[in-house]
Amino acid sequence: MSTPAAILTERLAKSYGAVVALAALDLAIEAGQFFALLGRNGSGKTTTLQLLSTLLRPSAGRAWVAGHDILGAPLAVRRHIGMVFQEPALDRNLTAMENLRFAGALGGHSARTVRERASALLQLFGLTDARDTPVAALSGGMRRALDIARGILHRPRILLLDEPTIGLDVQNRRAIWRHLGRLRSEEGTTLLLTTHHLEEAAGCDRVAFMSRGRLIGQGSPNELVGALGEYVLEVETESPAETASHLRPRFGEPLVEGERLLFRVAGGAVSLDHLTHELRAHARAIRLRRPDLNDVYLWIHRDPPLNYHPEGHPGIAAGAS
Amino acid sequence: MRRAIAAIVARDLKRMLRQRGRLVSSMVRPLIWLFVIGTGFQGMLEGLGRGGYQRFLVPGLLSMVVLFGSLLASLSMIYDKESGVMRMLIIAPLPRAVVLLARTLGAALIGICQALLLMLILFALGYLGVPRDPALCALGLVAQALVCASLGTLIAVFSKALEDFAVIMNFVIFPVFFLSGALYPIEHLPGVLKAVALANPFSYGVDLLKHALGPEALFDPDFSVGKDLLAMLAFVVLALAVACRRFSQAPVFESLARVFTAPKRH
Repeated sequence: MSTPAAILTERLAKSYGAVVALAALDLAIEAGQFFALLGRNGSGKTTTLQLLSTLLRPSAGRAWVAGHDILGAPLAVRRHIGMVFQEPALDRNLTAMENLRFAGALGGHSARTVRERASALLQLFGLTDARDTPVAALSGGMRRALDIARGILHRPRILLLDEPTIGLDVQNRRAIWRHLGRLRSEEGTTLLLTTHHLEEAAGCDRVAFMSRGRLIGQGSPNELVGALGEYVLEVETESPAETASHLRPRFGEPLVEGERLLFRVAGGAVSLDHLTHELRAHARAIRLRRPDLNDVYLWIHRDPPLNYHPEGHPGIAAGAS
Repeated sequence: MRRAIAAIVARDLKRMLRQRGRLVSSMVRPLIWLFVIGTGFQGMLEGLGRGGYQRFLVPGLLSMVVLFGSLLASLSMIYDKESGVMRMLIIAPLPRAVVLLARTLGAALIGICQALLLMLILFALGYLGVPRDPALCALGLVAQALVCASLGTLIAVFSKALEDFAVIMNFVIFPVFFLSGALYPIEHLPGVLKAVALANPFSYGVDLLKHALGPEALFDPDFSVGKDLLAMLAFVVLALAVACRRFSQAPVFESLARVFTAPKRH
């Protein structure tokens, strides 16, 4: 089967005995897209990547990566993808350059091709000085960068990254994202990554939220955020129940996070001055702000769309306010 | 594919050369046997003539080096499961069986290199002459190395964790070595032990080297050259077939996948 989609899954599922790691995933990722899977630990993100990279066999369902069936043609799939695991796929005893050479040879590339590409990648990732340093002596950020270089050495059309920025400090995280951005704009690589840093996913073309092995919503970050409402009204209060019942008639059902109440509101619907005065006995703080992906994540987890269609519109119930 | 196999084998050999200490200790081990055990027993076995028992030990000690070298090298896949190398191998566009066979080949070469090094040392010390049949000697070393490497590979794909290592030492390496005709002829062993020795593929490698190294051996080989080769070939084919099958199956990858996901802090 040949398809224009870089990645296509049909009711892809994986279970271990009675434990369902992934339940009937339908996903379509277009070539050149920058796609993020979001969700908590154990939501099925990593399982999805492991199935797509032919590391695991699905319990049910089918999937095609770069047009190749993951069950029927695993070698062709692996030839077209780059995979970056949570833990680096590097030999600690070899130097940065030796690792890239080894990875290149495993991919069947000639020593000369590998040398040229490896030098260019080391430069791109700012690792030229670490070229002859054993991996064991590299910092976490450098190791991750080298691991990504390893993942793209064979110029894969699709790059799968499992939490590429986990365990890195802000600086290194930004650097990795910069590299990924360049990879996408310069090489047109399709990127599929998992993350639980939602703010990082804001730059993606499309994000999908996963929970307990299921896809519970997807769309472009702008669409999703836009569908949530114009503003989010945030009220911090010592008496959440009382405040909620007070405001419910005007702003609808709030999302309660401890002592924080979140309402989705339209721009003209709220006067902050008025509210501040009205709630002065209860509220510690009142904020009116633009929604972001974090809010989408919170609402989508509270109200997972009941009849969700992957090809349809982002599954956030409209008009709650 | 050729490049990938060459790279995997080259990495194994490079690692052997880098770990000098391990290489030296792999030479010291058989020499201790030769001078300590060999000399001790020689005292009891005056009838064999001067140095007779020590010369009897030579094929067994060459096999011992191969056993430790090749078996430990192919067992190192257990360590690799927990390190990044296995991740690199698994995600490469190579059939699983090729990964496994290349690692086995690399492990066999390590054992052969170490045995050749020991032969030079024994030759210099005067415990080894020019082999009666050099071609058979080379064949014997290759076959013995493949037997040991395949055995290691077989164990590696079935073991779950590193902790098994001590178990492997006690229940694999020692029995394989002791019940092989390396230290004493098999024919004098009582029933059960003899049966184990006969089922031990390593025995046939020791026996083949006795054939190849010639008149020095005080006791006649136990089996014919043909039987030796057949037994070893059968074991290697069977062990690798089972290992490849197991390695391509889901459970191995599910446990590997867990290793990849759950970050281990060292």
